[in-house]
Amino acid sequence: MSGQSLIKLEGVTKVFLTDEVETHALSGIHMDIRQGEYVAIAGPSGCGKSTLLSILGLLDSPTDGTYVLNSRPVQGLSLPERARIRNREIGFIFQSFNLIGDLTVFENVELPLTYRGMPAAERKAAALEALEKVGMGHRAKHLPSQLSGGQQQRVAVARALAGKPAVLLADEPTGNLDSKNGDSVMQLLADLHKGGATIVMVTHDTRFARHADRTIHIFDGRVVQEQVEQA
Amino acid sequence: MLSDLRFALRTLAKTPGFTAAAVIVLALGIGANSAVFSLVNALLFDPPAYTKPAEIVQLFSQDKKNPKNYRSFSYPTYRDIREKNSVFTDVVAHNLSIVGLGEKDHARRAFVDLVSSNYFPVLGVSPIQGRGFLPAEEKPGANINVAVASYSSWKKHGLDPAFIGSTVTINGRLFTVIGITPAGFTGTMQLFSPEFWLPLGVYDQVVNASLTDHQALASRTGGDLMLIGRLKPGLTAAAAQPAIATLAANLEQAFPVEQKDQTFITAPLSRLSSSDTPQDEDGGIATLGTLLLGMAAVVLLVACLNLANMLLARGTARRKEIAIRLALGGGRSRIIRQLVTEGFVLAVMGGAVGLVLSLWATDLLVASLLKLMPFDLVMPSGVSPIVLTATFVFCLLGTLVFALGPALKLSRANVLTDLKEHAGEDTVRRRWKWLPRHPLVVVQIALSLALLTAAALFIRGANKAANVDVGLDIKRTWLIEIDASLAGQNPTRARDLYRGLNERLAALPGVESASISSLVPFGMMSQSKRISRAGLYPADDAKPATAAEGLAYFAGWNSVGADYFKTVGLPLLRGRAFTVAEATQAGAPPVAIIDEALARQLWPEGDALGQHLQYASNKAPTAKSNGSGGGINMSSDSDSGEIKAGESIEVVGIVPSVRRKLFEKEPGNNIYLPFSRGYQSDTHFLVRFATAPADAMATADLLRRTVRDFDPTLPVLNVKSFTQHLDSNIEIWLVRAGAALFSVFGGLALGLAVVGIYGVKAYAVARRTREIGIRMALGAQPSAVLRMILREAALMLVCGLILGLILAVATGQLVSSLLYRVSATDPVAFTVAPAVLAAAAFLACWIPARRATRINPLKALRTE
Repeated sequence: MSGQSLIKLEGVTKVFLTDEVETHALSGIHMDIRQGEYVAIAGPSGCGKSTLLSILGLLDSPTDGTYVLNSRPVQGLSLPERARIRNREIGFIFQSFNLIGDLTVFENVELPLTYRGMPAAERKAAALEALEKVGMGHRAKHLPSQLSGGQQQRVAVARALAGKPAVLLADEPTGNLDSKNGDSVMQLLADLHKGGATIVMVTHDTRFARHADRTIHIFDGRVVQEQVEQA
Repeated sequence: MLSDLRFALRTLAKTPGFTAAAVIVLALGIGANSAVFSLVNALLFDPPAYTKPAEIVQLFSQDKKNPKNYRSFSYPTYRDIREKNSVFTDVVAHNLSIVGLGEKDHARRAFVDLVSSNYFPVLGVSPIQGRGFLPAEEKPGANINVAVASYSSWKKHGLDPAFIGSTVTINGRLFTVIGITPAGFTGTMQLFSPEFWLPLGVYDQVVNASLTDHQALASRTGGDLMLIGRLKPGLTAAAAQPAIATLAANLEQAFPVEQKDQTFITAPLSRLSSSDTPQDEDGGIATLGTLLLGMAAVVLLVACLNLANMLLARGTARRKEIAIRLALGGGRSRIIRQLVTEGFVLAVMGGAVGLVLSLWATDLLVASLLKLMPFDLVMPSGVSPIVLTATFVFCLLGTLVFALGPALKLSRANVLTDLKEHAGEDTVRRRWKWLPRHPLVVVQIALSLALLTAAALFIRGANKAANVDVGLDIKRTWLIEIDASLAGQNPTRARDLYRGLNERLAALPGVESASISSLVPFGMMSQSKRISRAGLYPADDAKPATAAEGLAYFAGWNSVGADYFKTVGLPLLRGRAFTVAEATQAGAPPVAIIDEALARQLWPEGDALGQHLQYASNKAPTAKSNGSGGGINMSSDSDSGEIKAGESIEVVGIVPSVRRKLFEKEPGNNIYLPFSRGYQSDTHFLVRFATAPADAMATADLLRRTVRDFDPTLPVLNVKSFTQHLDSNIEIWLVRAGAALFSVFGGLALGLAVVGIYGVKAYAVARRTREIGIRMALGAQPSAVLRMILREAALMLVCGLILGLILAVATGQLVSSLLYRVSATDPVAFTVAPAVLAAAAFLACWIPARRATRINPLKALRTE
């Protein structure tokens, strides 16, 4: 099921400087994620998994090391170029959904397509298709505040999917959900993976990590173990 | 309530930046209102300093056949009225006069009021030191040189206890100061005070000495007195009228020639002028006052809207705190009370600072006026209880406007949502998304634009006024104002002195020509005369429609020397200038030079040159005047020179029309007489240099020295270039003051609007940090974020500008009558004002928008 390399990290480190104190969030991370893979990054709180996801999502830059996304080194790109790549190649799913409160469900989903400059008709079709895929087509005109947590996360997934990105990055997607809604979202991600989506999910819950093909365990900013799930 | 107050103070102290900004905004709004209220109150409402003002009325002598004609009273008539009336407890006679007040080695103009001996008792005012006048000092010709000084005069002498008993020089004569009026007493007018009060007994030597055609105070046919009566207690003016009319009829019967067709009426004493004709300027002042209060109210409204926005923004961040209070059982009214208390504390702090600002602004205004006025401007000093009360009311009103709305909105919190949601974010979709996010800012922009456009209209007018074409070539001409009568010189001696001085000035090196002129265009004084064709005397009931039928025309009058036209650069169109003999010899044939406008009116069908005209009688039907403008117009029908009404005067020259005053609709009509035929003691010498003097100080010194060398006793009142003379013109000052006033209000409104826009946008960006972070995480380019913020701002700005332009058009119509030669919809003003506001607003939006593009999405997404 896995194809060619999509994400390749070599010796990635991230050091935060606060009040003359150096904090090594990531230390020499090597990682290779192939197209169509479903990878879980697991570890306890503060181990650096969210920092790693931010670097993968081009929201942050590594202090050292190289990051190749879709065969292109991206660690030294300008802000606008990173924004362009985020928009076209990465789909984000956040723990706290991060929907915009005064935009409707539909407007939230079409937002990344707007930044891509896609014509309105295409945008509409793509947004509705994504909403249908997550089972939220009937809620297109609602505001996020009118939805349950599980529904909001489904919308967030639809927003991430709508632009057909190369990779979906999910940061604790079930963290703000009850177990029933959490299971439902995990099932949705599994279905998307089956449909060919590359997914990188950060989680501290080993139950959910089992949904992935591979789990990378991080501790104190280092990869301590890689575990391939048996089908 | 006390705990609310304590909490409010603590909350405000915790956010010193916000508190300081709010206090400044409120201080500007409330301060502007306090300053304007203080001025309007002094002009319109402050009770006069004399006792029981409701009993005080002015008496007018009205022509029964021509009820629009009024005249002043002679002293004998005053005595008759005082003694024979049955409705007044007493009657006062007085006449304001300009005198030369000696100060060290020079004289300056000052106002004095010549009054009957009962003046102070009737007004119920006692001198705080010394005494008032005695009956013996009132008797015509008594010439007992005593004076009562105003408090402000005493203040100018350092409140010296020895001021009483000291002497002051008035018109070259020594007067002993016998009394000092209380502080704040300004005589019969408000604000404008004479510096000294003199007894009527010195009238002939103070007022009449400088006139060639005077009649003694004791004469029943002359007199320039105005009468003020105190009605008997309980008697109204209306109830007194029949008795007053009967008294007038009796006097007419007793003195059929002097009192022919005269009846008496009463009217309330004007607060701002002293005239022999009932005045309506209080109404004009009321309009101006209303306009000023309106402008100030708009500034306060803009300030309040600004603050409401700031409070709303701050309140949004306090949603969680408010939700906690509500969750803990605090009622909505309790929350409102607390938020309004915070607003009130801010208002009081702003009001206190505003009050200090208003006192400073008022002092500045008075100081600016005093430079131009020959009289004292007495503004109530310090903070009066009524101004303090008004300021407190402004604070209360302000609180209601800026604090209540946000308090009502914020107290309508959804406890559950607000406790859960990210602080300060919108979770409810705005119903009309296409409308601007901040309607209060839209209103602010609109109001600011209205004031700013009004300011632009006034500035345009002021520029036009400053560059007004007088019609003269005066760049190289200087003025010396001299009044020989102030040195006690009689007209015969003064004429000789003036002739000699003119020759001396003309002979100065570098001087091209010099001439005498009793009046100058744009001066404080002006004179006009009724002029008709010679030999025409229409019957009393005649209604002539043309000059040929005897219709008279008002014309600006001046008496000038032989070289006047050359000295002011006014070319003769036809005919000739006056000869030296005509200008200096009293016995020369009567001749005149008139301007084109008067020539066209008097002889529309032919050439005026060589024709004869005359001063028309005061009853001659007269064509409507084109407006005399401001300044002190000494328009009268009395014979002011050696030419009498009806005497035939030959027109020997025609000159172009010139503007005498700023507010004249059109230049002209003007008539010039030789100085010998129109002597005035207060006169001007015009000196034209071959090249414009480079050093103004040196030139003024040279001219002063020349006069002093010629005769050291001659009082020089002024030496300045003609350009400086135009700059110090009171009408130009008024136009500039209007422009300055509107500029201050417009500037304040613009500043407040810009601060408001910046504050709202900056807060909106801060509040939307997370949203912007999400957008950027989803791939929004910084330029897209910049566009989003600016697009929202542009919508707000465009809506504000459209609404503002509508308001500006209405404001323009409202102030159109006060504008100087500027249309109420002047395209320049209506282009510049919106452009300035738009540019300032754009900058105010651009800074937070630019900041938005620098938001780090990673940090933004962590914001809770």
